[in-house]
Amino acid sequence: MSNHALPAFITDEKLVELYKQMWLIRYFDEKVDQFFAKGMIHGTTHLCVGQEATAAGSIAVLQEKDKITSTHRGHGHCIAKGASVDKMMAELFGKVTGYCKGKGGSMHIADVEKGNLGANGIVGGGIPLAVGAALTSRMKNEGYVVLCFFGDGAANEGSFHESLNLASIWDLPVVFICENNQYGMSGSVKDMFNIEHIADRAQAYGIPGKVIDGNDMLEVMNAVYEAVEYARSGKGPVLIEAKTYRWKGHSKSDAKKYRTREEEQEWRKKDPIKRFKEYLMEKGVLTEEKAEQLREEAFREIEDAVAFAEKSPEPSLDTLLEDVYA
Amino acid sequence: MREITYLEAVREAMSQEMRKNQDVYLLGEDIGVYGGAFGVTRGMIEEFGPERVRNTPISEAAIAGAAVGSALTGMRPILELQFSDFITIAMDQLVNQAAKLRYMYGGKGKVPMVVRTPAGSGTGAAAQHSQSLEAWMAHIPGLKVVQPSTAYDAKGLLKAAIDDDNPVIFYEHKLLYKMKSHVPEEPYSIPLGKADMKREGKDVTIVATAMMVHKALEAAKELEKEGIDVEIVDPRTLVPLDEETIVESVKKTGRVVVVHEAVKRGGYGGEIASIIAESEAFDYLDAPIKRLGGLPVPIPYNPNLEKAAVPQVPDIIKAVKETVQFK
Amino acid sequence: MAKEIFMPKLSSTMEVGTLLQWLKEEGEPVDIGEPLFEIMTDKINIEVEAYDRGILLKKYFQADDQVPVNQVIGYIGERGEAVPEEPPILSEGATEPSGQKTEPSAISEDAVEGKSNENGKVRATPAARRLAKEAQADLQSILGSGPKGRIHLKDVQQYLETEKEQPKASPLARKMAERENIDWKTLQGSGAGGKVMSRDVIHAVPAQASGQKQEQHEVRKKLSGLRKVVADRMVQSAFTAPHVTLTSDVDMTKAIEMRIALLPTVETQTGFRLTYTDILIKAVGTALSRFPEVNVHLEHDEIIYKKNVNVGVAVAVQDGLIVPVIKQVEQKGLAAICAEAKDLSKRAREQKLRPDELEGSTFTISNLGMYPIDAFTPIINQPEIAILGVGRTQEKPVVVNGEIAIRPIMTVSLSFDHRVIDGAPAAEFLAEVKRILENPYEMIL
Repeated sequence: MSNHALPAFITDEKLVELYKQMWLIRYFDEKVDQFFAKGMIHGTTHLCVGQEATAAGSIAVLQEKDKITSTHRGHGHCIAKGASVDKMMAELFGKVTGYCKGKGGSMHIADVEKGNLGANGIVGGGIPLAVGAALTSRMKNEGYVVLCFFGDGAANEGSFHESLNLASIWDLPVVFICENNQYGMSGSVKDMFNIEHIADRAQAYGIPGKVIDGNDMLEVMNAVYEAVEYARSGKGPVLIEAKTYRWKGHSKSDAKKYRTREEEQEWRKKDPIKRFKEYLMEKGVLTEEKAEQLREEAFREIEDAVAFAEKSPEPSLDTLLEDVYA
Repeated sequence: MREITYLEAVREAMSQEMRKNQDVYLLGEDIGVYGGAFGVTRGMIEEFGPERVRNTPISEAAIAGAAVGSALTGMRPILELQFSDFITIAMDQLVNQAAKLRYMYGGKGKVPMVVRTPAGSGTGAAAQHSQSLEAWMAHIPGLKVVQPSTAYDAKGLLKAAIDDDNPVIFYEHKLLYKMKSHVPEEPYSIPLGKADMKREGKDVTIVATAMMVHKALEAAKELEKEGIDVEIVDPRTLVPLDEETIVESVKKTGRVVVVHEAVKRGGYGGEIASIIAESEAFDYLDAPIKRLGGLPVPIPYNPNLEKAAVPQVPDIIKAVKETVQFK
Repeated sequence: MAKEIFMPKLSSTMEVGTLLQWLKEEGEPVDIGEPLFEIMTDKINIEVEAYDRGILLKKYFQADDQVPVNQVIGYIGERGEAVPEEPPILSEGATEPSGQKTEPSAISEDAVEGKSNENGKVRATPAARRLAKEAQADLQSILGSGPKGRIHLKDVQQYLETEKEQPKASPLARKMAERENIDWKTLQGSGAGGKVMSRDVIHAVPAQASGQKQEQHEVRKKLSGLRKVVADRMVQSAFTAPHVTLTSDVDMTKAIEMRIALLPTVETQTGFRLTYTDILIKAVGTALSRFPEVNVHLEHDEIIYKKNVNVGVAVAVQDGLIVPVIKQVEQKGLAAICAEAKDLSKRAREQKLRPDELEGSTFTISNLGMYPIDAFTPIINQPEIAILGVGRTQEKPVVVNGEIAIRPIMTVSLSFDHRVIDGAPAAEFLAEVKRILENPYEMIL
């Protein structure tokens, strides 16, 4: 476990909170997985079980005013950015109380006012948006940084390259964080890239690039904090590649024929929640009982979210045409 | 009254808004000291500086997305796409992002941006620099689509587009850039969704867009000599479309020719024709609705071929005569 | 496909028929040849038989409705088959050659086919359809000027314009309206295509005279059926032909002698007794063959000299009178005339005459000799131009060769249409009739 200097606002209490947040993220997606498997919610969803540290850790070091752009695998980002699990679950249930009034679903949860510029159903679609938001920060002198999430697959989209270049030439306050979970759907990074690290591409755009262990909360927090402050200072964007692994299939469940059971077991051993708990206990800020209690709390909160979603009303058909135009 | 060109009218609308509102800025390829491919932004970087007249790399996806992202966070960007053909590269950001964010987010957030882009044939720029793809954009809920045909309209509609809280695709026809008309110096706004009667007549309605408005006016002059009194409706904006003005005109004349430069197949003329057929005007139709549009070919290079690919004045005259012959 | 039931055209002069009664109800089966409905023409009541087998699907008109010939009055077809709610409006072209033909456009090759109607569907623009619907015009009747006969707005407008010019009131209705000082144009027509009929004028009269309290217990009977036909025809004749009536006394002594002489022969030949009417027919026929200017029809402004002498004889029937015709009198002998006249008058009373037996007369005899009537002013049976009224034969003192003698005298009254002939030739004709009757043997030569 790495042990860097963290920002002052990452107190011991905050660390314990983050531990619970990781469970909240995990239970949220486990519950969603269960519902999809049962056919209780329709459409599709992408689960980030196993990737809790990249979401919780990187967003933890942001300031309130900082913004994020998320991806199709974005429930963790949402929860970390302070979203209500009730409203998220309601959205997945298609209810009017959901973040998008039931019109967005899993892939489009956003909370623009809180700086979550939204998940995105298009691979790489959110990257130019992050650049634009960073441009606003620059032009309006608002001082915020945009943390731009995307996956390994998106790094092969044109928008990734165009956006890194654009952000670079304009020195925009944006941190590109690639959650490399090893597979773009079924495409392994081993097959889809001829380089070892996606972060190496930063060099091509004249910006710093860094590879980190995405399952290590501390390392994520440290690296992202450093990058965010670098960007905030006007030096321009940074590219971080966080190596991680999604425990579940690409969307909902899949047969996972593209990978081996052994590989999955290897990664499960690197469970980011377990590792963070060990760190906190070692640090003496978390006991086994407390850990168990927080896990229980997280579980109950998700159960409550489900109850909230279930009892929430369906959107009226009258709302169908609302909000196409401002 | 003062006369300026269409190009100057576009520039004036942008400059006046930028002087007034710090949130309005330009981005696009070669719009800096070069002044843009057609010189529309010439002189603007000198007045507003490189921060607000942002010369971009040739990255249509990124600059379109950057415009969307900045609009979503409080700016009012005007993106110049050098040729409207390049909208293909920016398509995801316009269609999947700009058009949908607000709706997907349940009514939160808005994307007040303008994509200005020169369209149309007639310059010999051939297949990849001469298209009229407005029907693509008009098809997308969440986008607005504007096609001004005169300098006066261009200025007023561009101000309305900049003031609008939605993504607006603003098509400028290359052949119109040098066309002059009376344009007031003071800022004014022409509401989006308000068609303009470019000529009043009683025998037949021509619904024409952009360059075709002028070809229709020329045709009308010829037809007048033969006693055919043509009314010309310029929708000016395809989305929102002023259905009422079109329908009322057709109710009056009972005959209609819809003409646009874009390829007829799948073109917006089909939409206009259908709206007429579905409307109250149906009962007043005394001849089949006629559509004129580009032939289903890429725009060719050779000037004679290029002209033949899109409707010309004689084509409009012929279509009108066919439509009124049973009067 | 349901088959149309038409108002038949039963005579060359028949333009409308009055529907007297339907003999079948809607929904009832009908066989070919079965009597389907009864009509009255300007001359006769007749039962019309079905031409098709099936179910009577629709009756568009009711008893006493006057219906133009060729108008569809109903449909026969299969049970449940759809038929129009409203009767198809009769096109102008169906009864007479269309006056106005639109030139096909020179520009369109397609326009050469002027037929817009295929499989019962009409090719018409929406605007044309709207106007036709508003004006209750039948698109089937309108000639389209567009490609493949497509009907345009202009075609409907022209059609309506032509319609407007056509009289929309029957001549009788106009006359009656004039007499009652009513503007018929203000009346709602009950006839086909909104035509104002005399009944509409009649209905309008009490309406206009409202305020005057009607006397109670007054029996009112609608002028209808044969009565109405007679009325219309009489009015038509009385108001169009300037009638002049000449009377003359005929000494019937020799005619009576001749009848008595011929009675047994004729009876043997025909089984009928020779009557004075038969003798009158032959006498008049003989005179007419000598006076071709009287043996004419006046149609519009044309005098038509008829080839044969066809003498009609007015026969009183229930609620009216009809006029069977003895054709080619000039070629027939008294026996033949006798036999024919008996047969006709018998069948007339039984209402069993064929339409062709009621048409083609060139002159009419109206005999009131069985009543104590001497002379009267008969009304011409148009399009004829003269009629002979026959009074009783009475023994009267007359001066013969300077001595008073008692002779059987019959008064005859000739009404003639002064538009066609004048007093002198009419008098000469009547004198000839008189001369023949007083010297009757020449008629049998």
